[in-house]
Amino acid sequence: MAQNPSLVHRIPQSKYIDAIRWLSPVSALDRFAAVAYYDTDTNSPSIEIICVDPNPEGSSPTLTPQSSWTPPSRISSLKTAHSTHQPLLAAATFSGSIHILASDLINGGTMESEATVSELGFHSGPVSAVDLREGGTECVSVGEDGRVNLVSFVGDSSKLSYRRIFDANGLVGYTAVKWASPSEFATGGYGFGLQWWDQRKPGGPVSQFKGNWCQGKTSGIVHSIDIHPSRKHTCLAGGSSGTVFAWDLRAQQQPIVLSGAGTDEAPISLLSESEVWEVQYDRYTRSSNTSNISSTRILPIMICSEDGILAVIEQGEEPLELLAEPCAINSFDIDQQNPSDVICSLEWESIAILTRS
Amino acid sequence: MPGASSDSGGGALVPISPESQGALVYPLRHGLKSPISRLSISWSRGNSLRVSVFAAPYSGSSVEDDAGGKVVEVKLGGGDGEISDAHWRRIAYGSVSPFALLQSRKNAVSSLSKMSMNSSPYNADWWDYIMEYSRDINALLGSQRSASVPVIDDPKSIIMKGEEPTSLKAAWELLEMFYAESASHSWLPECLVDWLADYDSLFSGTHPTVHSKLVDFQKELVNMQVVEDNPKYWEVMSSALAVGWLDIVVKMLRLHGSYQLDQLSNRETENGLVEAVAVLISKMPRMRLDQEAGKLGECFNARPDFVKAWEKWRGQINKLDSSAFWFQCAHQQTREGLRSMLQIMLGNANCLCSATCHWIELYISHLLYIRPFIVGLENMYSLAQKSIQLKPMASAHRLMGLIIGILGENTEVVLAECLKGFGPWMVAHAMELLTAGSDNAEMLLHEERQNLGGISIEELHRLVYAQVLSSHPLTWQIAPIYLISCMKHGMVLLQILLSQQPVQDNQLLLKSIEICRLYELHSVTSNIMKIAGVHHWKHGRKGSGVFWLQQARDEYRLNRIAQQLFDTVGKTISDDSFKQWEGLIQLLGSDSKTAGGLEFLHKYRHFKKSLQHVCDGKTTDAARQAVESLITLMKNPSTPQRFYLPLLHDSLKLLNWKDRPLLNVSQTNLLLTKLQDLSMARLRPDFIESELPPQAVNAVRLALATNLGRAILEE
Repeated sequence: MAQNPSLVHRIPQSKYIDAIRWLSPVSALDRFAAVAYYDTDTNSPSIEIICVDPNPEGSSPTLTPQSSWTPPSRISSLKTAHSTHQPLLAAATFSGSIHILASDLINGGTMESEATVSELGFHSGPVSAVDLREGGTECVSVGEDGRVNLVSFVGDSSKLSYRRIFDANGLVGYTAVKWASPSEFATGGYGFGLQWWDQRKPGGPVSQFKGNWCQGKTSGIVHSIDIHPSRKHTCLAGGSSGTVFAWDLRAQQQPIVLSGAGTDEAPISLLSESEVWEVQYDRYTRSSNTSNISSTRILPIMICSEDGILAVIEQGEEPLELLAEPCAINSFDIDQQNPSDVICSLEWESIAILTRS
Repeated sequence: MPGASSDSGGGALVPISPESQGALVYPLRHGLKSPISRLSISWSRGNSLRVSVFAAPYSGSSVEDDAGGKVVEVKLGGGDGEISDAHWRRIAYGSVSPFALLQSRKNAVSSLSKMSMNSSPYNADWWDYIMEYSRDINALLGSQRSASVPVIDDPKSIIMKGEEPTSLKAAWELLEMFYAESASHSWLPECLVDWLADYDSLFSGTHPTVHSKLVDFQKELVNMQVVEDNPKYWEVMSSALAVGWLDIVVKMLRLHGSYQLDQLSNRETENGLVEAVAVLISKMPRMRLDQEAGKLGECFNARPDFVKAWEKWRGQINKLDSSAFWFQCAHQQTREGLRSMLQIMLGNANCLCSATCHWIELYISHLLYIRPFIVGLENMYSLAQKSIQLKPMASAHRLMGLIIGILGENTEVVLAECLKGFGPWMVAHAMELLTAGSDNAEMLLHEERQNLGGISIEELHRLVYAQVLSSHPLTWQIAPIYLISCMKHGMVLLQILLSQQPVQDNQLLLKSIEICRLYELHSVTSNIMKIAGVHHWKHGRKGSGVFWLQQARDEYRLNRIAQQLFDTVGKTISDDSFKQWEGLIQLLGSDSKTAGGLEFLHKYRHFKKSLQHVCDGKTTDAARQAVESLITLMKNPSTPQRFYLPLLHDSLKLLNWKDRPLLNVSQTNLLLTKLQDLSMARLRPDFIESELPPQAVNAVRLALATNLGRAILEE
């Protein structure tokens, strides 16, 4: 199964997990995570802050719920901002609202809703993805309705103001979004398409990456995007048919396929044939430091997939499988402070915590 | 769990007991203020009902706050009281891998035995596989008991409190003991002794048990000064001895007052007797493979040795029983108590009967002290029947029925008891153990039956379990694992299951498609995609709709929606809003096969772009390119007729190009023909007029005529 020694703990929950994120720690001892649950028995969604006790005695870690907050409907996307004085959460729902939550981890991990946008016309239908800008004053939300909204919040007002950046009137649907810089962000959608946006140049995407690069063989949906803070010109995306590719804005229309479907000529080791639900740059490096890697090379990335794979992919190398579960891994998060630790949500109502050594 | 009901007709496998447990009331929380006029009840997912509540037609003044009705879901039944729904799901998830592994091994073994023709499928490996499967499932049902040993041994704690055992685990261990551990048949009685030690507490809820006696005594023990004066002390010890919990008995004996240092001197004989009994108990010969650390008794795994040791041990007890020391024992309770314990060890049937609480305990005590050399299920079964006669019960625990079924070697009874007591999960998984070693059971369960619609009992129960899984939004994804192991109806039911999944959410949709891909159900995939496409399209998400229809290669629907799209295109595409279309056109790609009628949009965009260049730069090269794309557009049969005029009107600039005519004679003729077609089409009633000024046609016609003239001259 796993090719390297790493400690895995699977902790069964009694609810479905829609999303999971680490929260930046406030002290060296306590580790916290935010989990979006959905209880099918009562049809009730919730967001909970849990304290992760690694349990040094070697037995399974314990998760202690600290506080809970009830959103109006299920969570479609959950993001956190790390560089704020207290962890901020942005939660998007299937009913088309966005909620900014602040949690006070020092005083018992309480959580309160800072602000909410839920008015009619914000999004029609579910919000498919949301991203919080580092520093936490703005977030961008996208939906399959083709709307791209910028929500800014200053702090004390409970009603957020939002600005519509673009409305494609449903002709284009967006399924993923990620900030690249304070004014730029990238979106992804159907047909493996990516769009680059700049707030300073309104009226539409600044640059588009043609989706149909795989020549109609298999097309798919982008589920997740990541952009490395030191490589803002490269947009990493993961989606259907095990596809993970990078779009270098400097080399406009040629994708760098890292895994899955793609061009015929380059034999790429096929890690997974099913949906890649999430991609993130893996800041946990084993030997060489990242600054040595040339700027054209893609930094190591981690992916999770519908067929239960959690793996690290490095360009031009054999992928390293960390987990091979019998059920789907729907989301994961790498701890920013301790990148060796990964938390995953599994389809079978459980959370997996992986510590790499 | 319901869902396991079969027809009440002749083919009923499991009789549904007519005894009703009284009516259950489920309150409806509909929150409607006005009186209710109508109710509509239908089945929802799983075992919940969907109740639609309609309010009476409103006659009052304001309509603002009240809805006209509400739909509420009512969940029926509490399920298993012992195991919560979430725990059942955890068991269901966990049993997928062991089940799938065993099925694939089975297939491998059967194909191997077909190749070699003569070798039996039941080789040593096979038993290992079955045992591995059984252990994996067993581990899911709870951890092993008596694992935790307290650091400080409290002399007064006689019974350990571990994790609460469940009947489900107890039942599985019974099945494992009798069906999976083929080699252990000679120590079955000892296995049953261990089993009862682990699970006697389960019967406490409905019957008095030795375990509950011990628990009660434990509570009193803390406040007891002189234990040996209390008749309960001796009674509880006899009971524990009768069911073979030797370590507890010895520990309790050591609480005897004669062990205390200040009393040792004047109660020497009494203490000697107590210790002699304790030693005899701890030396009891037992026919078993190995002994857990800390457990008492001497183990033998060969029968002759065991018989020899047993005779010797019995002799020692008899010797002690008839010894003269008893007359020197002054303490009456001790004397009587110890002697009745000796009677138990000597197999006095009356003593055993009074020391035990229910028939399984009595049965175990008979196995231990009266018939230690019992062999064969037949004898064990008749002994069980005798025990039931001696200790009849008003109501039987579900485990008791199972034991009787197993000992009676009646596969159908075992199955029925599993289903009645433990639900479809148990039956579907226990089937593997039942068929493991017995050819009879295998024939019975694999035989195709006319009254079951031509399927076997095994398939029936797998289908039932798969239905239970399918009815829950979280477990339906594991139902396919069970469905594909059903030869007759599995595939069809799988297709139905997948076709019924909701398509609204992309993530769920993709999970369904993934399952289709695994089982190569391409037609189901494309059906699901079509449904999703139309759903998105209807909800205004045109891009998503087009994507899914394209994935499904559904040209028919793409052409249909193209007509609708063109209505909007005609109005909006000309101006700034072109950016909105950009993404959709990109999505369509250049492959005309998957785009259907929408391929036109791609060419149209191309034409528009080159026209833009012409307006910006006015170079002749750009203009030539624009003409090229105009001609391809007009030649293409997929270009809708209603676009002819707007296209030509947009290209007036090209037609009237100053430097030289850009279109040659044949090209101009083509355009003229198209214009002619258009005027003919206008006469038809379904023609859609473009929103151009009425003189547009004349302007175009004039330009074309001029161009034709210039082109002729040039040629």
